[in-house]
Amino acid sequence: MDEDERARLAEFVGSRTPALMRVAYLLTGDRTAAEDLFQSALARAIPKWGTIRHTDPEGYLRVVMYRQQISWWRRLRRWRETPLNPADEPVGADPSGGSDVRLAMRAALRHLPPAQRAVVVLRYYEDLPEARVAELLGCSVGTVRSRTHRAVTRLRELLPEIELLEVRR
Amino acid sequence: MTDSFEHLIRSTLTDLAEEAPIVHDLLSRAERRVRRRRRATVTLGAVGTVAAILIAAPIALAATGSDQPRPAVPSPAGPAAVPNPADPAAVPGPPGVPARPTVEPTVVPGPPGVPSPAQLTVEPSPLGPPGVPGGGPVGAPGAPPPGLPAVSPSPLGPAGQPAR
Repeated sequence: MDEDERARLAEFVGSRTPALMRVAYLLTGDRTAAEDLFQSALARAIPKWGTIRHTDPEGYLRVVMYRQQISWWRRLRRWRETPLNPADEPVGADPSGGSDVRLAMRAALRHLPPAQRAVVVLRYYEDLPEARVAELLGCSVGTVRSRTHRAVTRLRELLPEIELLEVRR
Repeated sequence: MTDSFEHLIRSTLTDLAEEAPIVHDLLSRAERRVRRRRRATVTLGAVGTVAAILIAAPIALAATGSDQPRPAVPSPAGPAAVPNPADPAAVPGPPGVPARPTVEPTVVPGPPGVPSPAQLTVEPSPLGPPGVPGGGPVGAPGAPPPGLPAVSPSPLGPAGQPAR
């Protein structure tokens, strides 16, 4: 890669890192894991930069992150790790000024398996339709639908008091 | 209820996204990672090649280094060779005519590296007594002596190589 190409890559990374890190953080739910996921995706994109820079480098990086997050190898690596603080709760005050409901939802999201969590992020954060989610994750629309359903059901199971809290509000 | 629940998921995810860590100098770290991965790939490839050679070499030597002659080479005491109908010298001559061909067949040289199918392999038999042409009439003309193998081309030998 020559200097000109590298300068363009550095400019792209500098401008798009915050947005991509947000997605990585939502996918992993952990700061260190998010950084590792983004760096891993970037390492895969760098050798192909000459090809993807004319098309959609950000889309490529996102797809790599989505697929790596639910990949078997990464799951195996994650399984070997022993997190000292599984909840990874922020130490300071809640910056969102969130209520109990949001805090409970945040904790429940961390208990979702990676595949269901990826579908939830794509459907509810990125607001993508099911067909597009299926295309990005490399699975069928039915799989996306069932994963979404299972994820929402699991969240409801983890938050049985949500209905009460919602009523109170 | 579903809409409010989904709205709750959306708002929680948006809040969560704002807490994403801010990282610096990610590109250089990713480039180091690429270099390390490339080095690991090259090393693993070299190790795999060496391992394949170390495993395959003894097997190949054991397959070729036995005491038995190779199947493609007929043994000297092997069965009598079958005359090749395509070979003009393989046709037994009339009685009284020496078995050794008197007329050298015309061999059209083929392309380099390709053995000609019509190439003759008729040579004196090494089993014959010294000084006696193999298979030639020693005693009565026309009657080959018993016990001596008839001279014939070796169909199994490689083209251009005399039969042993």
